[in-house]
Amino acid sequence: MAGKPVRPVNAIDQTRRMLSLVTYLKERPGARVEDVARAFGISEDELVSDLDVLPMCGTSFRGGDLLDIDTDGERIWWHNPAALAAEAAEPLRLAADEATALLVAARAVSTLPGLRESDRQALLRATAKVETAAGEAAGASSRLSVTFESEGGVFADVDRAIAERRRLWIRYYSPARDELTEREIDPIRLVSVGHTYVEAWCRRSEARRTFRLDRVAEIKILDEPSAPPEIELRDLSEALVQPAAEDPEVVVEVGPGGRWVAEYYPHDSADELPDGGLRITLRTPDPASLRRLALRLGRDGRIVSPPELADSARQAAREALTAYDGIEAARTTRVVEADAREQHAAHAVPDGPGDGPE
Amino acid sequence: MAIAKAERLMNLALCLLGTRRPLSKRELRDSIEAYVEAFGPGNGATGSDDSFNRMFERDKDDLRELGLVIETVENLDGEVGYLARRDSNRLPPITLDAEEAAALGLAAKVWQQARLAGAASGALQKLRAAGLPEDVDPYGSHGALEPRIPVHEAAFEPLMLACRDRRPVAFDYRKATAAHPEQRHVEPWALECWRGHWYLAGWDRDRGAERVFRLSRITGKVRSRGGRYTAPVPDVVTVRETVASWAGEVADRSARIRLRAGAGYPLRAKATSVRELGDGWDELEIPYGHGLDAWLVEFGPDVVVLEPAELRADVVDRLRAVAKG
Repeated sequence: MAGKPVRPVNAIDQTRRMLSLVTYLKERPGARVEDVARAFGISEDELVSDLDVLPMCGTSFRGGDLLDIDTDGERIWWHNPAALAAEAAEPLRLAADEATALLVAARAVSTLPGLRESDRQALLRATAKVETAAGEAAGASSRLSVTFESEGGVFADVDRAIAERRRLWIRYYSPARDELTEREIDPIRLVSVGHTYVEAWCRRSEARRTFRLDRVAEIKILDEPSAPPEIELRDLSEALVQPAAEDPEVVVEVGPGGRWVAEYYPHDSADELPDGGLRITLRTPDPASLRRLALRLGRDGRIVSPPELADSARQAAREALTAYDGIEAARTTRVVEADAREQHAAHAVPDGPGDGPE
Repeated sequence: MAIAKAERLMNLALCLLGTRRPLSKRELRDSIEAYVEAFGPGNGATGSDDSFNRMFERDKDDLRELGLVIETVENLDGEVGYLARRDSNRLPPITLDAEEAAALGLAAKVWQQARLAGAASGALQKLRAAGLPEDVDPYGSHGALEPRIPVHEAAFEPLMLACRDRRPVAFDYRKATAAHPEQRHVEPWALECWRGHWYLAGWDRDRGAERVFRLSRITGKVRSRGGRYTAPVPDVVTVRETVASWAGEVADRSARIRLRAGAGYPLRAKATSVRELGDGWDELEIPYGHGLDAWLVEFGPDVVVLEPAELRADVVDRLRAVAKG
């Protein structure tokens, strides 16, 4: 797995881990450092730093023995396992946060379309057992929930192509251009961050591309083997697409009703304007793709630069209006209520990750 | 150098777990090296009782945070003592097979928020200590699936804790269309992540009604408020349906549009009917929900709204604003 897990170093996490560690080690004399680190999902260095602390610990009340645990870097030896009474070494019940973190994640993953049915069944069984074992601690887990979005059929095909190492043919929708293009891709991995994406090597552009599954209009698994070049997998946790410094700059000024732009478009800066709006500077390899944004904004904002982009939006609007000649003017007063109403349709807003300038 | 906090917490935990009778604060203070070093007789710091008490209380809270049930009992001499009873701290028996273990292993990796990532690993480690099978690399054979739950909002953690502990909060919230944030007083019920964004559902005390907030619009700190909830918490909180309706996903009407042949694939994908007109245009019937006007305008001259008149007027209105720009 390439994703870099978040690994906070803090005393609570370390204590929690060491408490489980003593239970685990008590039953496994001579356990290998490598195996224990893997079982605990930590690096060998982290494990060794735990092993440095443990010899200072014990049920030290009135001269109880300290834990005589040491390691030669290869194996772990505990010379006085009796120093820890049986009751202090039993597996501990789950805390509310632990039960919540595990159960919410398990429920979310179990709804992923494309998860192999046998894996889903295993996860559902495991979830039920953990709920039971957690008892009351499981209660608060209903206060947090996560839904992954993805297209079931497309997901299953991509997943299968990756498993069988086969090339895919897709018809892919690019919102920037409002067009469908056909391409052959060698899929590398599926990533779910809100939406689900496939990271792949695009044979047409000979480059790494990220495709959002709900924009795949058609998909076929080809007979050719998939042969992506060896590329380093990036940590996609922050943003799927990072604009490059050399990309052209676009400046957009929005009123209060257009502030959502700053939430949806990765940008270099967003400065407050006196009217409650924002002046947003962003970079995109293809400024023409932002014509959609200019049109959507309407009276809530305008493109300041480049001027050609502003012109093309104006031009498009004028052309569109010719179809409505003779239509009476719209009601001029519109009540914009909405406590937290979205000023956009979520399905229509490009959220950054596209597939590059094509 | 002061003794590391993890060492101090570990010793306190082992003492409380290992004892059969309640241990007094004094006993703990005299026997745990970290306390002795900081507050022992040789140390002589004035007011050290207060600072010891504060540290001791914090340490107990920290241990409770990681799941330890610590009881406070009075012993025969009327002195307060502490212990972590075996019965209340033992994980009930749980047997998971290799497949189930692998599935949980995958799930435990999805959090990208430090506290929850730590808690999920902690849960897995406790299960591991209880015999959860190992050495099965989840999906190792095909390693394709990498679900991640993004959490970028600073308000997430305090709100998660407030939901957990049922604690009222106050925060500054900037509505989508408002220039300035406004303070809101909320009894938080639940957090939900949909399409990569987090939302909070709760009782808005100022509005006297249920409200859903988007976390990215909370500005500044989330502050805790004392007291209890004044409104009942519903059994089922449906954030998703509320948000979906803002996003135009809930459509109760339909609209008729003309769309240039070959253009607007997403509109076609949502259409309930498509009819070729033969003049380079198609006629589509599409669901009409909140936000459709803004979406249609994005397609510029490739879309013409036929009906209803209201939608047509909204679209013309928007186009005029851009044309004037």
